Amino acid sequence: MAKKGWDEFEIGAMLRTFDGKIDDIAGTRQEDRAYSQNSSYTASVSDWRLIKPVFNKDYCIDCQFCWVYCPDVSIISRDKKLVGVDMDHCKGCGICVEVCPTNPKSLLMFPEQAEEETVIANWPKKDEEEA
Amino acid sequence: MSEMKQIKNLKEFSTSADRFEGASLLCPGCAHSIIVREVLNATNDDLILSASTGCLEVCTAVYPYTSWDASWIHIGFENGSTAVAGAETMYKVLKKKGRLKQPDRNPKFVSFAGDGASYDIGFQWISGCMERGHNMMHIVLDNEVYANTGGQRSSSTPIGSSATTSPQGRVSYGEKRNKKDMVAIMAAHGIPYAAQVSPNKWRDMVKKIQHGFAVEGPVFINAVSPCTTEWKFDPKDTMHLADLATDTLVFPLYEIIDGHELNITYRPKNVIPVEEYLAAQGRFKHLFKDEYKYLIKEWQDRVDEKWAHLQRREEARI
Repeated sequence: MAKKGWDEFEIGAMLRTFDGKIDDIAGTRQEDRAYSQNSSYTASVSDWRLIKPVFNKDYCIDCQFCWVYCPDVSIISRDKKLVGVDMDHCKGCGICVEVCPTNPKSLLMFPEQAEEETVIANWPKKDEEEA
Repeated sequence: MSEMKQIKNLKEFSTSADRFEGASLLCPGCAHSIIVREVLNATNDDLILSASTGCLEVCTAVYPYTSWDASWIHIGFENGSTAVAGAETMYKVLKKKGRLKQPDRNPKFVSFAGDGASYDIGFQWISGCMERGHNMMHIVLDNEVYANTGGQRSSSTPIGSSATTSPQGRVSYGEKRNKKDMVAIMAAHGIPYAAQVSPNKWRDMVKKIQHGFAVEGPVFINAVSPCTTEWKFDPKDTMHLADLATDTLVFPLYEIIDGHELNITYRPKNVIPVEEYLAAQGRFKHLFKDEYKYLIKEWQDRVDEKWAHLQRREEARI
């Protein structure tokens, strides 16, 4: 479908999320779905972010709290393991960091321009007082 | 009837393939999408969804994008519930006539609405759906304000809250009327299941949603949805606010079966004073001025009274 201009809205519109036919959506992972350009999966809100979460897998216990409480489906979890953060859809709210129970936290917020390797190398140590 | 999805723990839950997509335009830290994800992931069956006008609707269906991977419709402010009720009736009739191509797929009918679209504008429509006995679920995302249009009061706004049409100032402490007890009103229709849920108690939520899908007949769910913009707190604290809401008993978690059998499903180990819940939100900031301090005590009394009432109802089974 060609994208329309601002004065070419349809009064009633139907959008198709997928190109072609999908029989079992709930049984198909996101990477295996044929999203159409009308699905917001193909859009990005990464420019909303001022701070970004960085995932350090060394401390992660795969409790999945961040997965269930992420409002933007941005925590990628496969086979009960946390894989990473979907930076196209993350808005940088920081809920994942707040709900992370490990010490030190396995997800922390850093400025958008921070480099992942550098911050993981300088990850904070265990906070004894809190433990 | 299809089998219920087995969810024993959070790891198992995390293997669900989401049917709600990111890059919706909801605020960072919005609890609406957390609730929607927990609801949609509670089942593997096909879904027929609607959303009444509100934050969820305008943010997840911004032309030319949609964030929903299931059949989803939006019509007006008031009639999201009746749209789903109509689809449910059509499904039932086509099934009876044997005209469905896949009659054993057993889809679930769910309508989402904010508190404005449920407590005020869509009240009559929802009441009709509950009364007619459609096999559907209506879920209220209760953020206690018309957040989409700039924070006007709704009949869900609690006493003392500062909304744009009931602002606090020199002559007023904000909203003066108490919130209406929607779960009790809906349970009074004699529906098979009505419940209050909170996104931070995901297991309780999933259990209630699955029970709601399993029963035959209309189901009403009221979900507390902390609103970072209108409750005025930091986006990262959404789950903290939800924790406070359930642990201060401002939003007690309970269910009402067949309109009379009330069960409290979550009893906090340590009940937190309501003051902490109020202090965490900007909309109640003025209550901590000397002249309005008496309202905090009234708040606590009201919450205690409600809790005692629920416990008595649970005991008496009425």
